[in-house]
Amino acid sequence: MTDAELDFEVDPEDLEGWAPATREIGGPSLVVDHLDITYRVFGGKKLGTSDESSGRRLQRVVGRRSGHVGAVQQVRAVRDVTFVAHHGESIGIVGINGSGKSTLLRAVAGLIPPTKGSVYVAGEPSLLGVNAVLMGDLTGERNIMIGGLALGLSRSEVQQRMDDIVEFAGIGDFVYLPMKAYSSGMGARLRFAISTAATPDILMIDEALATGDASFREKSKARIDEIRQGAGTVFLVSHSLATVQAICSRVLWLHQGRLVMDGPTEEVCASYKEFVQSLRKSRSLAKKK
Amino acid sequence: MSEQSSEALRQIAVSAGLAPMGVRPPLGQYLRDLWSRRAFLWELSSSKAYARNRNSYLGQAWSVLTPLLSAAVYIIIFGIVLNTTRGVENAIGFILVGTFMFRFFEHAVSGGGKAIRGNTSLVRAVRFPRAVLPISVVLSELVTLGPALVVMLVVTYLSGLGEFPKFAYVPVSWRWLLLPLAIMLLAFFNVGCAFIMARWVARAPDIQNLIGFVMRFVMYASGVIFSIDHYFKDHPGVGWVLQRQPVAVYLELTRACVLHEPTIPLTWQTWAWGVGWAALFAIGGFLYFWRGEERYGRD
Repeated sequence: MTDAELDFEVDPEDLEGWAPATREIGGPSLVVDHLDITYRVFGGKKLGTSDESSGRRLQRVVGRRSGHVGAVQQVRAVRDVTFVAHHGESIGIVGINGSGKSTLLRAVAGLIPPTKGSVYVAGEPSLLGVNAVLMGDLTGERNIMIGGLALGLSRSEVQQRMDDIVEFAGIGDFVYLPMKAYSSGMGARLRFAISTAATPDILMIDEALATGDASFREKSKARIDEIRQGAGTVFLVSHSLATVQAICSRVLWLHQGRLVMDGPTEEVCASYKEFVQSLRKSRSLAKKK
Repeated sequence: MSEQSSEALRQIAVSAGLAPMGVRPPLGQYLRDLWSRRAFLWELSSSKAYARNRNSYLGQAWSVLTPLLSAAVYIIIFGIVLNTTRGVENAIGFILVGTFMFRFFEHAVSGGGKAIRGNTSLVRAVRFPRAVLPISVVLSELVTLGPALVVMLVVTYLSGLGEFPKFAYVPVSWRWLLLPLAIMLLAFFNVGCAFIMARWVARAPDIQNLIGFVMRFVMYASGVIFSIDHYFKDHPGVGWVLQRQPVAVYLELTRACVLHEPTIPLTWQTWAWGVGWAALFAIGGFLYFWRGEERYGRD
């Protein structure tokens, strides 16, 4: 919860020629109906929420005292979110850390079952995360196979794409070594390469653009663009407003799990920027005191 | 934001031909999904089996050495020092088969418990029928069991060559060919147990801590290191029940295939019990696991 909340890890000039999709908006591809996601968290400490309200603080203090036996906390990550997405839309999801962006994305991708409400979807959505199935004890080659099969590719499809994936990740002969021998950059690049191996109907990108060095970022942007052209609807979670503005035509702003604003990119991004700046100001004021 | 009612949204979704997400798929479709992911299941299982022993000099040899060493401990303590295997002609073979088979069961149960909880990141990253996870636990145990079985048979045979009174000769028999069948039945039973444990532990992680104790208890109640009917001579009722419980049935079945013990004949009744328990647990466990499908990954 530092100022890195609004890190522009992608320079705006990197994104030249990236216009928000101007394709015709088609019929609905995704309906989210009053969605609630509540996690159970075991253990006394509360992780993953960034509510700074005094009520939560009090709860945390109380939780610390009683949190050694039978400590189960409910974390309401997404609360009463409703929206309809259409074919040909690219939708950005913004919000400060812990506002429920990734959880919403996962719920929409069918990975986390809704606690309340429902999600209707066309086809099989795919979540492009950088935390694919990877086992450190196994070689890159085997991890590519497992990851590809997990994404629903067939064995021969993975084998066909094997060379592409290795080349894209730029790991060379390291592909024959166990993944625990990889540098963190190599691991991240391989994960990205694996998870973009399949082209889905609804594509969800969770912070994937922050992976790797400048040249890899450029490559990955090109790859996402390629997928974006083929996919019906694109969702993008990013802390980088520049990325969101470059890719998305519509933006959802989440705060504490609630949908604060839903509208055209310019409008929502402007209000969000204002909000973050005021938040920063109030925080630095608090620090001075 | 938009104040549309759930009913209106449902109408929009249905008219656009959208399907609801995050709900449990019907059984038939679930089975089809599972079948279509069989390559993933196999890759996951064999990789897990392979990854297990990567961090040592001897590598894969440990998948044979570990069960062998633990069997050696039991043979020395129970077979020779405490002599609990009275009424058994070859104590080494008896304990060896017992520990190897029980180990398979024990790992299936404890691994099944971790199947969902231990793979939360995988569950939250990729969509697939979650039944893949408990099945892959048993499958990867089965993969490791293969070479261990060969060693088990060889050691059992060698133990009988010394002509010691406690370690009678174990002839190579045609019944050894039935061993894979018996192990298949045990594997189906294990899959059922893994399904049940996976759902329990996903719901209440505390259960994982109890598995070890329960397993100790089951071990002594199943005659892994002594023969049940010998110890329960005075209580035939208790003995009868203990011998019909699934773990004891599979131990008896595998021992009857491998060993040449007059007290452990290979009967069709034992096979019938083995088939029955396997079918009951595999089907019941699968249904039980499937009924929780829509909840895995949320907590």
